[in-house]
Parts: sequence; C-alpha cells; structure tokens
Amino acid sequence: MRSDRSTSAPLALKLAAAAGLLFLHLPILLIFVYAFTTEEKTYQWPPPGFTLRWLAVTWNRPDVWQALSLSVKVAALSTVIAIVLGTLCAAAVSRTRFFGRETISLLVILPIALPGIITGIALRSAFSLMEIPFSTWTIVLGHATFCVVVVYNNAVARFRRTSGSLIEASMDLGADGFQTFRHVVLPNIGTALLAGGMLAFALSFDEVIVTTFTAGQQQTVPIWMLEELVRPRQRPVTNVVAMIVVLVTALPILVSYYLTRDSDQIAGAGK
Amino acid sequence: MTPAVSFTKVSRHFGTVRAVDAVDLEIQPGEFFAMLGPSGSGKTTCLRLIAGFEQPTAGHIRIFGEEAQGVPPYRRNVNTVFQDYALFPHLNVLDNVAYGLMVRGIGRAERHKAAEEALALVRLPGFGARKPSQLSGGQRQRVALARALINRPKVLLLDEPLGALDLKLRESMQEELKILQTSLGITFVFVTHDQGEALSMADRVAVFNEGRIMQVGTPQDIYQKPRSRFVADFVGSSNVLPPDFVQRYAGQRRWGSLRPESIRVARQAAGEGVQARVVALNYLGSATRLSLDAGGLRLHATVPAGAALPEPGEHVALTFNREQLHLMEEGA
Repeated sequence: MRSDRSTSAPLALKLAAAAGLLFLHLPILLIFVYAFTTEEKTYQWPPPGFTLRWLAVTWNRPDVWQALSLSVKVAALSTVIAIVLGTLCAAAVSRTRFFGRETISLLVILPIALPGIITGIALRSAFSLMEIPFSTWTIVLGHATFCVVVVYNNAVARFRRTSGSLIEASMDLGADGFQTFRHVVLPNIGTALLAGGMLAFALSFDEVIVTTFTAGQQQTVPIWMLEELVRPRQRPVTNVVAMIVVLVTALPILVSYYLTRDSDQIAGAGK
Repeated sequence: MTPAVSFTKVSRHFGTVRAVDAVDLEIQPGEFFAMLGPSGSGKTTCLRLIAGFEQPTAGHIRIFGEEAQGVPPYRRNVNTVFQDYALFPHLNVLDNVAYGLMVRGIGRAERHKAAEEALALVRLPGFGARKPSQLSGGQRQRVALARALINRPKVLLLDEPLGALDLKLRESMQEELKILQTSLGITFVFVTHDQGEALSMADRVAVFNEGRIMQVGTPQDIYQKPRSRFVADFVGSSNVLPPDFVQRYAGQRRWGSLRPESIRVARQAAGEGVQARVVALNYLGSATRLSLDAGGLRLHATVPAGAALPEPGEHVALTFNREQLHLMEEGA
C-alpha cells in the first residue's frame, strides 16, 4: 500500500540510509581507487598519485590469465551442467507426483543451505577415497552442487506459474514431446533459465570455500587473489583483477534481475 | 453406423478412487453430446480418456472404430477446448490458432491464411496480432475454439468451456456453439455441471455420478423421465416422491418424480388434493417458487408470474395430472 501523500522521510532517517549505503559500497569504491595508485607495496591513503600502469602490468601477467581462464571455464561448465540437471529436476518435481518428491526437492536445495566448508570437506574426502586426481572437473563438480540449486529454484518457480494444460494443449494439437518442449516449454521457461544460469555463473566465478577443497594446486581467480594479498608485490594488480571480477559478476546478476522482473508479467499472462 | 466414440466397460482408477467405473457409452457421429454431472463424477476424466491424456485402467475406447489404446494425444484426430483455454501466452492469437498446422510442418503463409479463416469463423477477424493477455474471457474462449478447430478434428471435446463466462455471454456462446456444431457437422462432446446448459444445447445427455453413467437420453427424456432419484434431483430440482406417497396416487409402490411446474396450487385449503402449508416464496422473475410442507414431505411448486400467490403460512391444496407423475425404476 502506497500512501497518496508524498511526505518525505525525516532528515535523520535519510542520513542513516546514506550512511548505510556508504558503509556497504565505499569499500568497493576504494578497491577501484587503489587499482590506479602509484604506490605498490602498501595501501596508503590518500594515494600518492594515479597511473594506468597496472592495467598494462596485469595484462602481461600470465598467472592472471591462467586464473581467469580457469574461472571462466569452471563457471561456464558448472552453469551448463546446472541448467540441464536443474531444469530436468524442476520439471520432474513440478510436473509429476511420485513417492519421495518432497525429499528430492529438499535434497536438491540442501547444498546451498549447507555451509560451503561442509560441501568442500565432503567432496574432498570423496575424491581422495575414490582416488580421483584434482582437475578442472573436480572444481566443476563442487560448483555444480550449488549452481544446480539456483537454476532449479528459478525453473521450479516458473513451472509452477505456467499452466500445466499448456503442455496438454500442445500435445492435443498434434505436437510430440520434442516439439512441445521446443515451441511451448522452452519459450515459457527460457528467461527463468537464463536468469538462473547467469546467477549460477556469477556464484561459481567468485566461489572460494568449496574451491579451496576441490582445486588442489590450481588457482581460480578468487584463490589467486587470496594468495596475492599475502605477497606485497605489485599489489594494485589484485585491485585491477578485483575490478574485473566485480564487473564480470555484477553484470550478469543485474541482467538476470531485469529478466525475471519483466517475465513476471509474461508468465502470469497465461490466463 | 460406426459410433464416433465408443466406451466398452471403461474404468479409470486413481489408487482406490474409481474416477470412471465400468462405463459403456456410444456417441454418434455429428452428435452434440453432453456429459453432465456434479464435480468429481468422472465426466472430465471421460473427456481426458477420449483426448488421450489418461489411459483406461480397464476396458476399451474406440474412436471411429479404431482402438485408442496406446495412441498418444498428438496422433488422435480429436481436439480439445480446455477449461482454462490454455492459450500459449508467448504466442499471438494468430500463431496460437495456427499452432496445430505449424507442428505439422505447414508453411507460414498457408497456415496464417487458415488461421485467419478460423478466426473469422469464430467471429474474431483481425485479432491475430494481439496477445492472449489482451483479450477478454469471451474472446479467449473463441480463440481456443478456433485453435481446436483448425486441425479439422472428427471429434471436438469441450471441457466446461463456458464456465468462466458471465451469464449473458454464456447464453450467447451457447447459441453460437450450437450453430457452429450444426454447420460444421463435427461431433461435439461437451462436459458441464450446468444442467440448463446441457439440456438446452445437447442432442443427448449422459448424467454422471460417482464414476458411473446414471442415464443417457435426449434432454426431454432426462428431464421428464428421470430413471433414478439422483437424476430427478440433479436435473432441474424435481420433487422426489417416496413410494408411500406415490402408491396413494398411482397405485404402485415406487419412487416418483414430479416437476415443480406440474403442481397446481389452489388457495382454498379444504379443496381436493394434497394438503400443504406454504413455507416460503422465492421470486424468480418469470415465476415464483413455493416451498411447501405436505405433512412432513417437502415439495416445491412454481407459480407463473401473474397468478395469485398465497401467503407464507397459508394452507393450500395441491393438484396435478396423474400422467405428470413419473414413476422411477424399481429400486432407483
């Protein structure tokens, strides 16, 4: 309920809100500022000077490229796995009734409620028990556990809002299972999958805890940054990479937010 | 003549629930057939069995003589108008209507032309570019109808298609559906819980209760000669008379039914006929419905508009023609 009178909030409240926002976002801005400082060993305030040198330095560091490419690869693979498995699982849970349906739903969602450290330890001991060497795939597997949840949640919500009789109508009009999926199901859940997929990508891209347990000697971007903070050498490079990470993860989340927001109306227009 | 749809001892059980229980049924080609019954009586399940969304637990369904067992919905020459219309929200009206042709691989120009014609048939020409969300309930209903007709089905199934419409629209759609069915000559199978709708539109009506068919017949048969108490009561709130009462007037110990409009109400209490006391009056516009108490038996009578009305509490005498009293089957 919105009141008709456009009374403005009291000054104290405005100040508190501004302080809260600053507290949340000022540190992020500081990271951006230090990406351009001339001082490379300590975080000195105010920065003694500004330079674009670190962009070039970062560009020429092979370890940055390795970490970035591993992170992108892992995020992309986990997202693909999550979209396929999450959608299938969501379809099964929301479209049919079977024994243990609620249990399966709970088990799928559990990994995101479980502390990452538990998932990490569990996977690590499982890998060592089965003598699986650490590789890109062990990281992907770890990330997929929580990426599936994100896609699943998005898809389940959309499936619930889409009328079940749409599928029957399609079959009734002569479309087989594949045609029904392509012409009716996919257009109706597409934006939910895209949103879920982007969120999954962003989650995977900056994941630290599960990754430390499943990566072995490999370095994803967040792991590389942790290592980098310990060494006081070319510190602003870390900030440049942080800036890139913010952009890479924030953009998909924003896009997915706008996609699901708009699609509420599309999905609800069935009746 | 091969029936359009025939059920032979068809059952559909969900766990212990017998949604459809050993139903035998024959629907003739070109017939407007109504399945009437309260909710949960199995009529919609029967419709879904014909469409192929459900498989019978036992028995056989034949559609124009062909065994339907194992034939998926998309290979049956049967189309459905769904209760919630089930229009595809992401497609515009024209593509919704053309969907059945699209999945059959008919070219864009040809299928759009056919869809335009189908829209004209349901009196919605020029609505093709709109989205279903931009249409009113009545318009969506017509689009659903056009979409179901585009594949030229041999049987059209309608699942309470008028349920969501307001009274005025429902009446005009009833008329239109009837005209459409007559001009197309397609077999219509129509599910409804509204007995007025079933009686006014259908050539024949099947009355369902608890998964079984209680009676099949023309609307006149069903209305005037109900075979059981359930049919008498469900179709048009008839007076169901117990055997004792019937024996006094017809000489046979059977359940009987008497239509409210068949009872004449005389205001002098001492006259001949059944003595009763007026309990309440309901004004219906074209008539007034009296609730009467005849020595413990609750009866209803309708008095046409303009006739003299008794007061509540007044004692009246009820008379009726012997032939209006319909005797039901033994044990019904």
